[in-house]
Amino acid sequence: MAVVVKDLRLAWRDRAGWASAGAFATIAVLTYSFAFDLATGDVRPLLPGVLWTTFLFAGIFAGGQSFARESEEGTFDALLLSPVSPTMIYVGKALANVLAMLMIEFAQLVLATILFDTNLVSLELLVIVIIGTVGAVSLTTLLSTMSASMRGRAMLLPVMALPLLVPLLIGAVRATGAALSLDAGTAPWTLLLGVFALWSAMLSVLLFPMAVER
Amino acid sequence: MALARPTRVTASTGAIVETRALTKRYGGLDVVRAVSIALPPGSRTALIGANGAGKTTLLALLSTLVAPSEGDATVAGHSLKDRPAALRRAIGVLAHRPMLYEEMTPLENLGFFARLYSVTDAEARIEELLRATGVWQRRHEPVAVLSRGYHQRLALARALLHRPAVLLADEPETGLDPEGVEMLDELALTVPGLTVIAATHRVDRIEAWATGLVRLEHGRAVEDTASIGVGASA
Repeated sequence: MAVVVKDLRLAWRDRAGWASAGAFATIAVLTYSFAFDLATGDVRPLLPGVLWTTFLFAGIFAGGQSFARESEEGTFDALLLSPVSPTMIYVGKALANVLAMLMIEFAQLVLATILFDTNLVSLELLVIVIIGTVGAVSLTTLLSTMSASMRGRAMLLPVMALPLLVPLLIGAVRATGAALSLDAGTAPWTLLLGVFALWSAMLSVLLFPMAVER
Repeated sequence: MALARPTRVTASTGAIVETRALTKRYGGLDVVRAVSIALPPGSRTALIGANGAGKTTLLALLSTLVAPSEGDATVAGHSLKDRPAALRRAIGVLAHRPMLYEEMTPLENLGFFARLYSVTDAEARIEELLRATGVWQRRHEPVAVLSRGYHQRLALARALLHRPAVLLADEPETGLDPEGVEMLDELALTVPGLTVIAATHRVDRIEAWATGLVRLEHGRAVEDTASIGVGASA
């Protein structure tokens, strides 16, 4: 819990990472709203894709920054030197990233509701966003640890993360479509999304101690 | 100021820090080669050698930051391989970098680490250390605005916060003014009962605090006056 509180405090103090991610997400949603012709066409089929590509890139951008700073300042070593297990450090950092990401996503859902004139703040959709965020952030937090000390990490993280996140992206887009009463097929997309999120979280928890071993 | 915890030693040798053929290899290169030392409780060991001799890597091995390629070590009775968490609780580390969160104040930094180490009397302990290191007056300022000397003082406070039995220090004098060096001696390097292993290039200062030395060359311990039964230590 100490790691969660510390990370949220740092995110608030040094808003560069999360503020940039929030700004990126806002600009993306605004741009999409200008790009689509709201007057003549039904834009609802496009919304799941709009939301999840925005969430995914904003998450990768912000998640990468949290570990990069720890690595640059040497504070990650201080965490590893403490008696707290690497697994708990990972859980704390991932949880802080999930909470910060959910705040950005909720703001974007409200913004998109206004811009696209479609109610996106429903309980069903919020559950899907939470599950998808847990899955995506679990993986990006792990990968950002692995890339934090590498040169070219800004490019490396999306290159590593995006192929691994394709199944989650498909599940999240389809589940969001179903929540918006769009034709999403008969597959239980929310369940599949949940399974992927669980797999992603468990795999990351198991691999993190190995990822930080030198 | 009571700094050190009650110490546990290796039963067979009575050493608080013992390495057995400890080796670290990167690629094909042995950075630390089969180092075996046995340091008595309360000893203060200067780790000396040229740049690249393996001093920092040996400290990183002892602190569990780096996993050994071969061999093992025991610190305060805890094996590097089998009980790393318990070992980490027994050590304090003063590294090249201060390892502090620059956006947080000294109070917040120490408060955070006190929670990680489950320090019971955290508030009193933090005040005691901040006063002792001369950072108390600036406890509410972000670390980013403090000078390098203050960073080093605060790093020392962080390293001693949980009352470690063993202090591992890498060039501890770096960035400190003469007053800071005096404070370092008083709080860490010459505290009775606290076992210290410090890598240093300040050979002129070794006599002031060390009870023995280990000289490394190309990763090997070529001189050891610190280990039990071999020299002048403790």
